[in-house]
Amino acid sequence: MIHMSHVFKTYPSHITALTDINLEISSGEFAFIHGASSSGRTTLLRILFGAERPSSGEVIVNGMNITQKGFNKIHQLRRTMGIVFQDFKLLRDRTVKENIAFALEVTGHDKREIKRRVSEVLEKVGLQEREKDSILALSAGEQQRVAIARALINDPPLLLADEPTGNLDVEMTMDVMRIFTELHHRGTTVVFATYDTELIKRHPYRVIYISGGRRVDVKREDEVRTGG
Amino acid sequence: MIFFVQYVIRRALQNIKENLFPNLTAIGIIAISMLIFSAFTLIAFNLASFLKIWEDKIEIIAYLKRETPLKEVESLLKNTSRLEGVDAVRYVSPSDAMAFMEAKLGSQKNLLEGIQPGVLPSSFEIQLKKEYRNSTRIKEVVSRLRQFPQIEETQYGQEWVETFSALVHILRVTQWILGGLLLAAMIFIISNTLQLTVSSRREEIEIMHLVGANPAFIQVPFYVEGLIQGFFGAGLAIFFLFLLHKGFFLYIPPSIQTWLAGIPILFLPPETIGRILLGGMVLGIFGSFVASVRFLKYSE
Repeated sequence: MIHMSHVFKTYPSHITALTDINLEISSGEFAFIHGASSSGRTTLLRILFGAERPSSGEVIVNGMNITQKGFNKIHQLRRTMGIVFQDFKLLRDRTVKENIAFALEVTGHDKREIKRRVSEVLEKVGLQEREKDSILALSAGEQQRVAIARALINDPPLLLADEPTGNLDVEMTMDVMRIFTELHHRGTTVVFATYDTELIKRHPYRVIYISGGRRVDVKREDEVRTGG
Repeated sequence: MIFFVQYVIRRALQNIKENLFPNLTAIGIIAISMLIFSAFTLIAFNLASFLKIWEDKIEIIAYLKRETPLKEVESLLKNTSRLEGVDAVRYVSPSDAMAFMEAKLGSQKNLLEGIQPGVLPSSFEIQLKKEYRNSTRIKEVVSRLRQFPQIEETQYGQEWVETFSALVHILRVTQWILGGLLLAAMIFIISNTLQLTVSSRREEIEIMHLVGANPAFIQVPFYVEGLIQGFFGAGLAIFFLFLLHKGFFLYIPPSIQTWLAGIPILFLPPETIGRILLGGMVLGIFGSFVASVRFLKYSE
């Protein structure tokens, strides 16, 4: 599902964000990308959804070689994945339903299809009663559930999450994690970037540790899990 | 395709409705820019029309030698009309010249009493083709005319023609330089203003990118929005220019009105209005393109 080979990323300001990253994530897997602030985990995720291009190396996501010269199908790549962020990225002047429907409107779906799919995803995240509410009337946890619903609207096989629980309290975090776990059990591949060691300890999934832009040896995963 | 067109128009109108203030600001700025440009065009158009009146008066008078027999005049007339640059030739006999002078003198024509038409030379009034009505090319025709032995003297108001040619040249150069500068300033101002409308929807664009909207679905509504803004901006500019043009006649002092009586102050012709509207729409699209290119990029 995801293949990264000798990926380097250096910004024009000569700051190196990633150095020689090699990575394989299989279909149906749940993987945490763990690292401290400025470790390079967000850059890694941004490369996976095509927001940034690596300086060198090969990246294949959902069968698309996004590092291939002349690759300009980023919009097609993004329709094969859902993306969730720490700051939710919702339109504050719209309702829950409008926020989710927007993703389908701009990808050329008709009204009937939009109505059907919006109802489906709202049920998945448990917000069917709040579809007409304004985003501003929701708690942070509920807003993140709307963002997850929007990410799921195309029923993507891959879900990328960049610090999705970063703005949530413990209860809301557990609530959101429950949704991610359910999606994983239904077969969705989840790549979850976080700095939260406690969260990782509570979930028995694979951990890819990034430090100073490098992937640290696999042995460190246990150290992370045990807090070492 | 029909779905796409429907989507683009619906989205562009929705964008305008949801972001009314930035859109009205953009239309206002386009209108002001276009008004300045249109006013400049109107002035240049009227100056050109005014110079055209002068230009039509440019002609050569060729005076014939007194001893030229009438039978030679006829062949000379033919030869003159065949000269390159000559549009029409009219023979003015001494009697015609006398009648002309009498008409010019009006109530004072008694001054000509006792003067026989025979004292006046016969002449040719030579109208030139448009491209020969300038100081350089008129000289070419004059030098050919002087080769005819029957022609004694030629007159074409050399100084006046040179002044006229210089004026036309200055007007054209000014038109290009000022027009170019105005256009560059307009593109800068309009693209910066449209950036307001684009940046007010930065979050929306970001989400469109995230969910994988086709680039055409993101960009084309912005260009259509720019086109609509450009059309209304240019339309408003023409409307205000029309009011200014009308107001010019209402509020100018009568003394100036009398002076202007002989000079027609025209409004822009329909084809120029069409070009300004089209130009406004093109500027709107181009401005939207320049303004949105940064926000509409999918990757960095």
